[in-house]
Amino acid sequence: MTKKSSKSNADETPKPRAGKKITSSSTAEYFSKNLQQVGFSSPTKAVLTTVKEAVDNSLDACEDHGILPEINISIEKLGPGTMKNTDKLRIIVDDNGPGIPDEDISKVFGEYLASSKFGRGRCSRGQQGIGISAATTWALQTTATPVRVISKTKDQRKAVSCSVEVDLKNNKGLTRDRQTIDWNRPHGTSVEFIMEGRCQLNGEAGLLSYLRGNVLVNPHMTLNYTLPEVGSATYERVTKEVPHVPEPIEPHPHTMKLGEFMAHGRLFGRTKLQTWLKTGFSRMSDNVIKDMWKAQKLPMALLSKGVESVSDEQLKAIYAAVHATTLMAPSTQSVISIGEDAMSLSVERLGEIDFFAVATRKPTICDFKPIQVEIAIARIHGGESDEPVQVLRFANRVPLQFDKAACAIVKAITTVNWRAYGLRQPKDSLPTGPYILAISVVSPFIKFKNASKETIDASDELVEEIRRAIMQAGQRLARHLSRENKAADLEEKIQHIEKFGPVLVDTLVRITKSAEKRKEAAYAGLKKILGRDTDVAQNKLASAETKLDEANTARKKRLKAFRDEDSALDAMRAPNPEDVETSLEDDEIDAEEIAVSKKSAKEPKKSPKSPKSPQSKKSAKAAKPSILSVFAPEKPGKKGKFKEPVKVVKASKPPKTASKKPTAKPAKAPAKKTKPAANKK
Amino acid sequence: MASIHKPRVGRVNADILKQCLSVCDGMLTDLEKARRPVLKATKCSLDNSLYDHRLGYLTPGDKKVSTELNVSSVKKMSRAIFMLEVLLRNLETGSVNTKRELYYISKGEIKHNPLLKALDFGDQDESDEVIDFICEMIEAYREEMNCFANDRGGQTYSQQLVVTETMPDGTQAVIDLSQLGTSPFQPKNRPQNLTLKAKKKIDFGLIIESEGTANTLVANGFTKRHNSIVIGAGGVPSNAVRGWAKRIQDQLKIPLFFYGDLDAYTIQNIYRTLKAGSASSLIRNSDFSAPEVRFLGVLPEDITKYDLNDYAVNDKDPSEARSLKKAKDALQNDPFFKDKKNRGLAEILEWLAKNKRRCEQQSYYAVAPRDPQMAEKIIVEKIKRGNFV
Repeated sequence: MTKKSSKSNADETPKPRAGKKITSSSTAEYFSKNLQQVGFSSPTKAVLTTVKEAVDNSLDACEDHGILPEINISIEKLGPGTMKNTDKLRIIVDDNGPGIPDEDISKVFGEYLASSKFGRGRCSRGQQGIGISAATTWALQTTATPVRVISKTKDQRKAVSCSVEVDLKNNKGLTRDRQTIDWNRPHGTSVEFIMEGRCQLNGEAGLLSYLRGNVLVNPHMTLNYTLPEVGSATYERVTKEVPHVPEPIEPHPHTMKLGEFMAHGRLFGRTKLQTWLKTGFSRMSDNVIKDMWKAQKLPMALLSKGVESVSDEQLKAIYAAVHATTLMAPSTQSVISIGEDAMSLSVERLGEIDFFAVATRKPTICDFKPIQVEIAIARIHGGESDEPVQVLRFANRVPLQFDKAACAIVKAITTVNWRAYGLRQPKDSLPTGPYILAISVVSPFIKFKNASKETIDASDELVEEIRRAIMQAGQRLARHLSRENKAADLEEKIQHIEKFGPVLVDTLVRITKSAEKRKEAAYAGLKKILGRDTDVAQNKLASAETKLDEANTARKKRLKAFRDEDSALDAMRAPNPEDVETSLEDDEIDAEEIAVSKKSAKEPKKSPKSPKSPQSKKSAKAAKPSILSVFAPEKPGKKGKFKEPVKVVKASKPPKTASKKPTAKPAKAPAKKTKPAANKK
Repeated sequence: MASIHKPRVGRVNADILKQCLSVCDGMLTDLEKARRPVLKATKCSLDNSLYDHRLGYLTPGDKKVSTELNVSSVKKMSRAIFMLEVLLRNLETGSVNTKRELYYISKGEIKHNPLLKALDFGDQDESDEVIDFICEMIEAYREEMNCFANDRGGQTYSQQLVVTETMPDGTQAVIDLSQLGTSPFQPKNRPQNLTLKAKKKIDFGLIIESEGTANTLVANGFTKRHNSIVIGAGGVPSNAVRGWAKRIQDQLKIPLFFYGDLDAYTIQNIYRTLKAGSASSLIRNSDFSAPEVRFLGVLPEDITKYDLNDYAVNDKDPSEARSLKKAKDALQNDPFFKDKKNRGLAEILEWLAKNKRRCEQQSYYAVAPRDPQMAEKIIVEKIKRGNFV
């Protein structure tokens, strides 16, 4: 109970007894006693959360500064821990990010709720500034060892090295042993924790699953890691484009509740009502306001009044009018999209992928917040079929690994009828098969179920939106499976002719005790009859295969175009005002539509409504032809020109998560899709 | 109007052999001439079922299932001819087999000839389907192809009945059912080999749905007190039971009554099959149905008359719900229930579909719980008063 409330309820609540003072605790003290609330509930989760918080911070910082991230993670066992079933571990996460200014190091690693991201309305991974300070606290609690930080910004000649610990009483970070050192990189940050914990590698809650998830949703990231028992591995980046960092935009009026709406208005003081509505919100142009005023029969004079002179009743009427008006969906400028193209490239880093389908939904409003859902369905080559699919969940591009059952994503998956898309599915359960199902939810305001951000709250609207994304990708998957099955069916028929024809004639001859001459004649006749069928079947098969080949070729072509454009963008990173002028509004273009408007995207159309905005480059990218979302590589398991995703340098065995294949195969064996060349005509 | 479909009891093997050879020869000739052979089989389904009350059983209509040789049907056709060869060999040698044994015989053939591997049956259902197709194609009973099912149901008790069985070698065995003690007589899958004679006038035959209840009636002295034949059907009547009832009807010319549960399943699956055959056995109904059998009960009016314990049909039970749905379908589509001569039975089915009640045959035992003969008394009373449909 807060001090204020205890005062206001003084009549009902007993007064504190003499000698018992009501004291205030610092935020740091609170969290140090409740680390389980922020992801440090067990030694296993402590290790995972520490890595996760450090990586999230690195990626956010790199994106903020337009740097292509290269992150190195190293976990080393130093000996047994004092707690049961734990080890003393050295965890180092370093990056090539912008570095942390000297004076901010203690705040970042030693102070709770010190964040540059809080309340900005952006889709950054970190929000409150709790996680990494909690990791420092855990390290101090378990080994009494402060965190070692090395950081260098591009303006610094030498790097700063220091130890940071948390002053729990005052919620302050304390730096010790500060020294400047030579560091052979232009900028970056390295953080080293000595802590007790348990390094769990495999399973859904394992480190490898976390790293694989990060690799999928961060195609621009190069990741190197060294883990106990696994050794070293490298995932090279597949795109050189840093995701556009969403600028904080004005709130969408439909995302506000009445109280928020009125409080927002009061901030604008004497500003004219029309100006407030137009500049204080997104998607509220003069025309929209005018139409809304007419439709809702509001007095026109009100528009020229200052906001502070508008009564509460009038504001309530305006609020109701705004909500009764259909407005454009919130802008993509407020959400980060991985994009179908980038995800298509990234998904191949997950292992031997047979084919995949990806889908990016248009941003929409769920529960008054802008939200965007993206999905990738990938089939693992050679997998088996009686295990549930692997589900990778992401919230603002951060993998979610715990409390799966209650998550909106899992609820959406289980309510979809996967049988319609060619997958097996026990009732009300996850589908089965050798598939990876990666679903990313991006929003500036994701509604988590708990402070450790492990599960997305399953509201009806959000579940429905995720379902729609799944269905979109599912349809693409089904189309592909259908083509595969057709090819397999036709091939089977041709084999039937070869197998059964001679048996039929032989048996008939035996039954009728006919002479050899009849047998030969029947053979000749059968050949003629079935030869005609074979021709028809082969033509159909060839046609089905041609369609598959065309799909693959188109995809490759577009991936190449994507890479070329990626490089071109890299080269002309400097802003070009003309590009800005010719941009399209990316957020209104659905991936499917893009494919259709390929030509128009290449010849940008002048739109008087297109604002000059720094989004133009992204818009231009979004307007390029969409990637073919479903494809099958030429040979299953081959990764084309991409680098081998996992290079085991020191390791004895590959990561188990990567090899943990669900045991299902699709109903019709995809292996049959490669028809022997001899059958082709 | 159904064409008059004469029973073909005693069709000799030579006829079937000749017909099969003719089919195969025709196929071979077609192939020689590069024509696609076509196998035609009688369509055995309700939409090809006809009912004429003068005949009293379901007969096939004109619809045929044609299988033309093409890339899709070559497997089915090859399997059919392969199995036909096995069956013809049995006919030639006089060997008999069950469907299960035929499944394994085909497995053995395939094991010893790798060229036949493509024909291999995944399970018995596949080989059964092929055997049924062959029978429908040449309109032969399975038994005529020397393929027999297990003898099931039909335990028969009587103090007056004497059965003479003609064995395959021509010898005869005479069985006096009164000399069997407590053992019942078990009719065979080929009841056409049985000749019946009554030592003394037999008043009626009673076919009871539950073999257990039949045993109880006999144990309590039913056959001692009444000149009768008591048969336990054992659920849906097997070919043996159907053929046996037909034999009794034709040779002894005694009234036959069926006594079973009052529910949709019993009326349309058990009783209808016994009386008029089934849609899936259109080609054999002539010899495997007893159109004279009357439905003794339980009748809907018995529930009130004897204050029987009945209960509601559980809509949530899938099998019961399915039976109700089938009852409604039968009223609209089944020629047996649509025939005006069977109006009484259709009314019972309508009553069941409307009231969603059911009453079991054993409920007669609730009438006078301390009188073990009460069920017998009710049955006899119903027969005497003509209280049946």
